[in-house]
Amino acid sequence: MTPSRTAFLTILGKDLRAELRTLQSLPAMALFATTTFVIFRFGLDRTTLSGSLAAGVLWATLLFAALLGVNRLFVSEREEGGFDAIRLAPIDRSALFAAKATALFTYLLVLELVVVPIFALFFLGSAAALGPLLAVLLLADLGIAATGTLISSMAVQSRARDLLGPLVLLPLVVPLMIAATGASEPLLALGGPGYHRFGTWLAVLSLYDLIFLLLGWAVFDFLLED
Amino acid sequence: MIGLLLAAAPALPLDEAGKYVAGAYIVFLVLIVVYVAIMASKLGHMEKELRELASFAEHRADGEAAAGSDREEVSADV
Amino acid sequence: MYGKGLRPLSIATVVAVAAALSLVFFYAPLDADQGFIQKIFYLHVPLAITALIGFVVGGVFAIFHLRSGNRRWDAYSYVSIHMSVIFGVAVLITGAIWAKASWGHWWVWDEPTLVSFLIVFLMYATYYPFRYAIEDPERQARYASVFAVTAGAFVPLNFMAVRMAQSLVHPRTFGTANGGLPGSMMFTFLVCLAAIALLWVTLVKLELTAKSTSGQLKRLRRALDAPAPSSGGSRIAPEVS
Repeated sequence: MTPSRTAFLTILGKDLRAELRTLQSLPAMALFATTTFVIFRFGLDRTTLSGSLAAGVLWATLLFAALLGVNRLFVSEREEGGFDAIRLAPIDRSALFAAKATALFTYLLVLELVVVPIFALFFLGSAAALGPLLAVLLLADLGIAATGTLISSMAVQSRARDLLGPLVLLPLVVPLMIAATGASEPLLALGGPGYHRFGTWLAVLSLYDLIFLLLGWAVFDFLLED
Repeated sequence: MIGLLLAAAPALPLDEAGKYVAGAYIVFLVLIVVYVAIMASKLGHMEKELRELASFAEHRADGEAAAGSDREEVSADV
Repeated sequence: MYGKGLRPLSIATVVAVAAALSLVFFYAPLDADQGFIQKIFYLHVPLAITALIGFVVGGVFAIFHLRSGNRRWDAYSYVSIHMSVIFGVAVLITGAIWAKASWGHWWVWDEPTLVSFLIVFLMYATYYPFRYAIEDPERQARYASVFAVTAGAFVPLNFMAVRMAQSLVHPRTFGTANGGLPGSMMFTFLVCLAAIALLWVTLVKLELTAKSTSGQLKRLRRALDAPAPSSGGSRIAPEVS
């Protein structure tokens, strides 16, 4: 196994184990999302949602919950000198990007496995859409993981850390949100899941993921220079 | 010909539309002028700073010339 | 030497802008659909195209900066983005004026190009607080370059996604106004585009010259061992020396 791959697995393992042990981010994200659903119920004065409204509420909530996770992603590196360790190690520094992006992807996936059924319970008539919705969720998670890791690694070393990450990340994920809601809206339609332009939107999501994963990988070296 | 075009119902009557078009070009002009004003103020600062530096350099040159002539006088006495 | 060539460039810009304005108001025919309001497009669209190209140029300079480590490229990148943001303000305001004249509302979501531009503008507006939040100048330059490259990649994706999100009920009004432009309109448009592009280049060069002069002053101050100036320097704008 190459040193980079070892580093990747070590960092990923450390992060996942730390999260499992301390449960810092995930329960907070899940609770945040659930409470946000309740706020939407009262804010919109609706007890059922379908179509564009359902897609909007679901994706806005997931995005804001994701921001919580993004903010906390590099905290341990900043506090315990993880960045310096990577700089000193004779490995491909993009291994840190890969490990962190994978960790963030995992958190998002776990979050959604909890929160999306809750959403269905609160607002949807049936769970028929949840299957195809998983495809959309997976692709969107990849995109948020790529951009979130990239932005977070810079924001964490700045002065206004908790503010800067969300500020820069939100416009960046707009195309992703457009595609995700575009695909989800027909899925969550009143009469049952529809697939209008489903393939097209998934293609857009894939393109977004590809571009930003490659970009993050290529650029990460420059972020860690000293 | 123009009459025909005008009669083909443009979005707003000509004098109304004229105000909007003028507004757009005025906004453009104003932005340029504001930029010029900002550059002018920067130029003013730079001039002030350059003036300070010039007088500082001259003072120092005078001081050195005076110190040089003092030294000359001292050595001449000895 | 940034100031060299600034004079011929500005003269060319003046000539081009004068020619463009003359063509718009004395030569270009009246549009059958939109009437006199269509004249706004000769200003609005070239501004938008120039701003977008400026953003991409900023991203390209950023790549040069990352690869060479020479901070001069970062200054070019910053000024390109800065100028394009300013042009972007003009795009949004002229776009709003056009929307009000055509639809009666100061903002409409029906124009995908305008909406995409708004999102791109919001993205690049975060460039300033982003730079400001990073204290170390060398790191600030590097991170800003990463931002510029990321945002540059984001621009085409964004336009594509917003365009796809448009419902088919509202046809693209600018598309119909622009589709099959008669030759005289196209010629006028191209001259306007050249004029605005020249203006952008001139202003960028002007800005870089000002920065360079400021940098030379600092250098002189250091060489003379003079005390610090009464007014402090900028925290976010990169220095040029």
